[in-house]
Amino acid sequence: MKTIWIIFLLTINGVLAAQEFPPPPDPPRLVNDFTGLLTSQEQQTLERKLVAFNDSTGTQIAIVTVNSLNGYDVAEYSFELAELWGIGQAGEHNGILVLIAPNERRMFIATGYGIEGFVPDAIAKRIVEGTLKPNFRNESYFVGLDQATNLLMGLLSGQFSPQQLEEETPAIPFLLLIFIFFIVIFLIMKRGGRSGGYRGQGGHTYMGPYGGTTTWTDFSRGRGTFGGGGGFGGFGGGSFGGGGAGGSW
Amino acid sequence: MKYLHKLLTLTLLPLLLGSCGYNQMVSLDESCTSQWANVENVYQRRADLIPNLVNTVKGAAGTEKDILTGVMEARAKATSTTIDANNLTPDKIAQFQQAQDGLSSALSRLLVTVERYPDIKSNQNFLELQAQLEGTENRISVERKKFNDQVNAYNSYIRQFPRVIYAAWFDFEKKGYFESTPGSEQAPQVSFD
Repeated sequence: MKTIWIIFLLTINGVLAAQEFPPPPDPPRLVNDFTGLLTSQEQQTLERKLVAFNDSTGTQIAIVTVNSLNGYDVAEYSFELAELWGIGQAGEHNGILVLIAPNERRMFIATGYGIEGFVPDAIAKRIVEGTLKPNFRNESYFVGLDQATNLLMGLLSGQFSPQQLEEETPAIPFLLLIFIFFIVIFLIMKRGGRSGGYRGQGGHTYMGPYGGTTTWTDFSRGRGTFGGGGGFGGFGGGSFGGGGAGGSW
Repeated sequence: MKYLHKLLTLTLLPLLLGSCGYNQMVSLDESCTSQWANVENVYQRRADLIPNLVNTVKGAAGTEKDILTGVMEARAKATSTTIDANNLTPDKIAQFQQAQDGLSSALSRLLVTVERYPDIKSNQNFLELQAQLEGTENRISVERKKFNDQVNAYNSYIRQFPRVIYAAWFDFEKKGYFESTPGSEQAPQVSFD
């Protein structure tokens, strides 16, 4: 019964969040143009550049355009979205979100906790005012974003090391071990002639690790990278503390 | 077989004991305390920016003495109001917030006044300070929101049955929230008269 409730609450939570903030892209992408501001050619160019940067430095720069801020302040919207998606690596918090709301003519560069030292607010403000604004006024969105990401990459190159896949992998084997442990127990119990009661117990304790999480958002952030070659591996669960700057054009 | 039964009981016993929620209360309490440190940190960051800001403004708008001293006084009051992280009662939080809000309104008066002085508005140093101040205000609202989320998790946990009965025996008291400032839901009016 409890499990059903948890699933129900999770679903509701997902639905409510989805109304105001787009869910993390699946398959994961760094450039998410929900408004058709960029051509698909331009999106791919930016995506390739940012994925390459992520591969070489582990720093995740995401570009998102949204149709509406749903009444939020652009800064507030950016931090909520960045936190929800978990841009950046969990331990380093080295994510950047460049958010554009073309209908409201607002933009914001949100920096993760780990980025604040390398891209101070004043610098982010300079990029907004000096690079994004003039280009956006001319409707050359791609040029603005291309130049702005180049500036950000210049500030951040060499500051972080690429994501270490070895660190991410233990998560699955650990769950697997628990699983195997319980299967072994079941098998032994079954041989002993009492299977029913303990099967329930086993399932219940298996939920244990999830019961310990404090906030619902942890569920969406806890995802590690999926590894594999080629495209972008996924957001790592970085956290944002209000750094960055924005403006309007 | 008997041995195995004992083993299983021993494994499950801590889980049963854990279900009374003491450990969970401790960890939620700790989350609030550590998030409070982040909140204090960002408020301190704002306080640290102010002397620099006041000096910059003084150079170009030294005649606005009242407003400048108002800001410094509010800053002194805000930095002297600190509360113990182990005693985050609603009263204490409200008191802390009141002092900080006093500084917020003094600062916004200053920034409005500065609009009348074109010299300052083109001063690079001032513009950067302004960007930093904006960033700090953003940080304050993010950390406050995170703090409220933690307190919400903690408060609702200790007030649920059966913890509501014994949470107070272990000194787990209800903690306070940051309230949104009265009037802050209305965007400020800008007029060009």
